Amino acid sequence: MLIRGIKSKPVYTPLAPDLGGRTHLMVGFGVGAEPLARLIADCALAGVKKSSRQLLYVTDKSASPEMREAMQNADVEQVRLFSDSASLLTQFEAILQAATMGTRLYVSGPEAFMGLVMRIADRFNLNRDEIRAEECGSPARRVHCIHCRAATEDVTTNIVQCVGCQRWLVVRDHYSRRLAAYMGVMIDAEVPGELPPIEEVFV
Amino acid sequence: MSRSHSHTFAVTVTAITQVTPLIKHFVLKASDGSQLPAFSGGSHVIVVMKGASRVHRNPYSLLSSPSDLSSYEIAVRRADPTRGGSVFMHDHVTVGMQLEIAHPVNLFQLDKLARKHVLFAGGVGITAIAAQLEDLKMGSVHYELHYSVRGPEHAAFADRLVKRHGDRVRIYHDSADQRIDIEGLVAAQPLGTHVYVCGPTPMIDRVIASARAAGWANSHIHWEQFSAPPVGEPFDVFLQRSNITLSVPPDQSLLEAIEDAGIDAPYLCRGGVCGECKCRVLEVDGVLVHNDNYLSSEEKASGALIMPCVSRAQGKKLVIDL
Repeated sequence: MLIRGIKSKPVYTPLAPDLGGRTHLMVGFGVGAEPLARLIADCALAGVKKSSRQLLYVTDKSASPEMREAMQNADVEQVRLFSDSASLLTQFEAILQAATMGTRLYVSGPEAFMGLVMRIADRFNLNRDEIRAEECGSPARRVHCIHCRAATEDVTTNIVQCVGCQRWLVVRDHYSRRLAAYMGVMIDAEVPGELPPIEEVFV
Repeated sequence: MSRSHSHTFAVTVTAITQVTPLIKHFVLKASDGSQLPAFSGGSHVIVVMKGASRVHRNPYSLLSSPSDLSSYEIAVRRADPTRGGSVFMHDHVTVGMQLEIAHPVNLFQLDKLARKHVLFAGGVGITAIAAQLEDLKMGSVHYELHYSVRGPEHAAFADRLVKRHGDRVRIYHDSADQRIDIEGLVAAQPLGTHVYVCGPTPMIDRVIASARAAGWANSHIHWEQFSAPPVGEPFDVFLQRSNITLSVPPDQSLLEAIEDAGIDAPYLCRGGVCGECKCRVLEVDGVLVHNDNYLSSEEKASGALIMPCVSRAQGKKLVIDL
């Protein structure tokens, strides 16, 4: 039932410093601490000035206590820690509002979180040659209901009940950068209630 | 290849104005009275000029408003030294005369997702920017033009632009030692700004270098730099697939020689920027003289590719895959 091989999923690559940039804005969630710690060390080695480095990080239990501490004491000009992604995203948008050309964005964490960060970056016309993203952590999906447009978070199953309209949705591989979500389409429209087996697939 | 690359349509010159000591302005209307093909700001057309001894095909930017398709406007700077095209336009073209032009092509597009546009123009480079300004005027995104001219007598376009765009246009007169602070302007632009430049090579180079130094990513830097095919040494070329040998004289380009032989070779810009005419080099005894802004330095060094619209060979023999 799932359609595979759709090319809409963004390509993620290991984080590395982009020496062309003048300001390096790093954004992470939970286990995203690990790639960020490596990036910050690589920046220092490559001679990227500490004053040009900034970090925004959501402290989440998916990161080890050591990693959380490493983020708190990261070798950057300013560390901002958040307890949830919503507050990080608000601050992130305010930073972009004041940012100038020459800024590079680095994102690390679960795809659902990165999608929300990159959606805001997109509104500021940050292009692919200004953003680097490394996926790590839960592959759970953010699902956009094409019927009621509600977003269901942290979906790990092939079929999910929409939080907005309670329809049963099949989670497609069609990813929308603008919505930062995978498309969810009603699965039992022909025969209401007739569902294929529900399986944990995004774990 | 079945598609003809030389598809053109007839236009009639309806007005000619000497706008600066070196620049003439032409208004063109479709000879059959119909509306002209639509275009977007930054487009150019190839004008086909049938001179006494040779056919010239030169690219000129459309500087009229894309929303008015009753006529096209182009401006031609008299080139010195010249290969003949601009002099033909200046000395032989008169009102009422018919010319052939190719369909507009845009290799210098505005980025539709930009949050701000900063444009730089120098001299006749304004022709590529003028129609972009018309497109920008219709939109809601902030834009500003910094336009450098030699002096007041060269500033005919400047008055027209200031009238239309007000304080979004700033004019700098070289003769009054007014210089655009390019470094300062690119240093503190908001995220999502795009920069565009068309003008003399040093100006283009300086804008690109300043933007990169300020950390701009390439996707935000746009320029148009048509180079006229430079004069060079004569050489012979063998076209492998057509099985024909041609002699290319000093003041003719390789592409022009190929066309003169009746072979329909691909092209779009004729200025070494678009890549359409890229051709494989099968053999060369001598050196390739690359004059384009399209091939990477590695590709140029490999000797395996040539852009016939502006590049040539120096030596005894050249064989290309055409």
